[in-house]
Amino acid sequence: MKQPKRKYKISLSQIVLMLIMFLFTLSIVIPMLNMLARSLSDPKVSGSMMGLEIIPKDLNFINYQVIASNPVIVPSLFNSIFITVVGTALNMLLTITAAYVMTRPKLLGKRVLMVFFIIMMLFDPGLVPEYFVVKDLGLMGSQWAVILSMAVNVYYLVIMMRYFEAVPTSLFEAATIDGAGHIRMLFSVAAPLCKPGIATLTMFYGVIRWNEYLRSGVYISSLSKSPLQVVLRKFVVDGDVTTLIGTQNLLNYNELAQIDYTALQYAVMIVAIIPILLIYPLVLKYYTKDIMAGGVKE
Amino acid sequence: MKAKQPVIINQQPGWRRALHQMWADKVLYLLLLPTLIYFILFRLWPIWNLRMAFYNYRARGPWEWVGLKWFKMIFDSSAFGDILWNTLVISFMKYVLLFPFFVIFALMLNEIRSTRFRKYVQVVSYLPHLLSWVVIAGIWMALLNPSTGAVNQLMGFFGMEPVDFMTDKGAIRWVLFFSEGWRSLGWDSIVYFTAILAISPDLYEAAAIDGANRLQIIKSIILPALVVPMTTMFILNLGFFMSAGFDQVFNFTNPAVNSVIDILDTYIYRLGLENGQYSLSCAVALIKGLVGVVLVLLTHVASKKATGKGVW
Repeated sequence: MKQPKRKYKISLSQIVLMLIMFLFTLSIVIPMLNMLARSLSDPKVSGSMMGLEIIPKDLNFINYQVIASNPVIVPSLFNSIFITVVGTALNMLLTITAAYVMTRPKLLGKRVLMVFFIIMMLFDPGLVPEYFVVKDLGLMGSQWAVILSMAVNVYYLVIMMRYFEAVPTSLFEAATIDGAGHIRMLFSVAAPLCKPGIATLTMFYGVIRWNEYLRSGVYISSLSKSPLQVVLRKFVVDGDVTTLIGTQNLLNYNELAQIDYTALQYAVMIVAIIPILLIYPLVLKYYTKDIMAGGVKE
Repeated sequence: MKAKQPVIINQQPGWRRALHQMWADKVLYLLLLPTLIYFILFRLWPIWNLRMAFYNYRARGPWEWVGLKWFKMIFDSSAFGDILWNTLVISFMKYVLLFPFFVIFALMLNEIRSTRFRKYVQVVSYLPHLLSWVVIAGIWMALLNPSTGAVNQLMGFFGMEPVDFMTDKGAIRWVLFFSEGWRSLGWDSIVYFTAILAISPDLYEAAAIDGANRLQIIKSIILPALVVPMTTMFILNLGFFMSAGFDQVFNFTNPAVNSVIDILDTYIYRLGLENGQYSLSCAVALIKGLVGVVLVLLTHVASKKATGKGVW
């Protein structure tokens, strides 16, 4: 008889399986550690470092010093933080209020509104007609163009509605009897009960905001107002070094002539990844907790 | 003139009752107002702006009506055919060819006995999905660099000549394929892994009593449980077929390979926001948008038929 909980032997198939999975994770871990290592190495030797090397050679923080004193990157970091914080707050405010309203059972016109939202979700007119809206609203060149044009995501609105639908109606009825209005009902009954949902959506919106580069690149022409991803794209994808360092600085500082620009690129990428890594434990906690719980299998 | 209507006490006409109800719920409508304004400004207004596709856009003065001129131009040009072909090929690779690997990944994850190792795989494999495409493009450029990249370094161990994959027309679509897999293999397999975890332990016990081995369990218990999520995901993917993933191509492309990975969305972007051919760009966007809606509606109907669940 086979016992359900007997101790397993490490069989050959387990070893092969774990080896394949391990190699796949290495394809994610090694490139990131390599970037980190090269960005922390002495520019004199970092240029010849190969892709599989994950330990810094002659530990050196020059790349991060260049970033910290860079007239383009430092402001772009603050721009990213501003757009992410204000943008996510707006996302959540609208998503929560709209989801609450759309889940009220007696609301008139609910079906019409839902059909409207779905059509708006299905038909994607592209960025060009939106560009003209931004222009006509006089938002061109402003960070608000990016913040406002991405204010609600219909998929996330629907997810938030699912959470509110799960709140027992008896709780709302009890609150009504106590004389609570909709606003109090939303913020002191519905929202506290949907904390996991609100946490998850805040993280997802936050990640989208932090990673956004396309609209920022189109709507904000001035580099001094641009978020980090736009600067990063200019530097990494377009390979534009002079914009980043500035021609003046390039001539003024002797040290900069010795910089390994590839290593500097990696350092900027690391800076762009750090906030994602900071929020990642929360994603694991709220979004994937159930599927990560150990001992599910009998 | 009509005769006097008989007055019915305590029974207001339907519309008055409706108005009354709406007035009672005025706070709700007020709460919804900002979202509604957003959709009207940034969703509905752009759709209205698409009418540019039938005009000759002028920065000053009234636009000139040109009817279907731009559409004729699009269908007559050889560029559009190539771009449509690129879009469909890349979509096929990403949404059909890659598709089974998400299921296989979930199955393999489920077969790992060591809980700690499984957690490690999950923590690492979910991460790339949260990185921006700019960062991912940077990572892959480093990974595939012909002189220092890890891939060419590995190939060197086997005595192979270095290849510059990013500028190789034959390789670039596979670069898109593998980088998409790298980014989403973990994350997109979550839906299947969740379905596997939802399988009742009774089924496994019954199988154990029957003396079934792992392969038999996978075949007769686990895979049947994955049919519904697989159908749903596959059908959802079909809805993205006209898009093929703008962000990835936009960040991975370069002049050497653009001709084989130029897709509809990059074409629309280039025409409109780089060349200033707004009307032509809107015409392509209109075609793409309409075909996209038709695809989603078809998949919605197909999904309802196949699984009883629609796309929304």
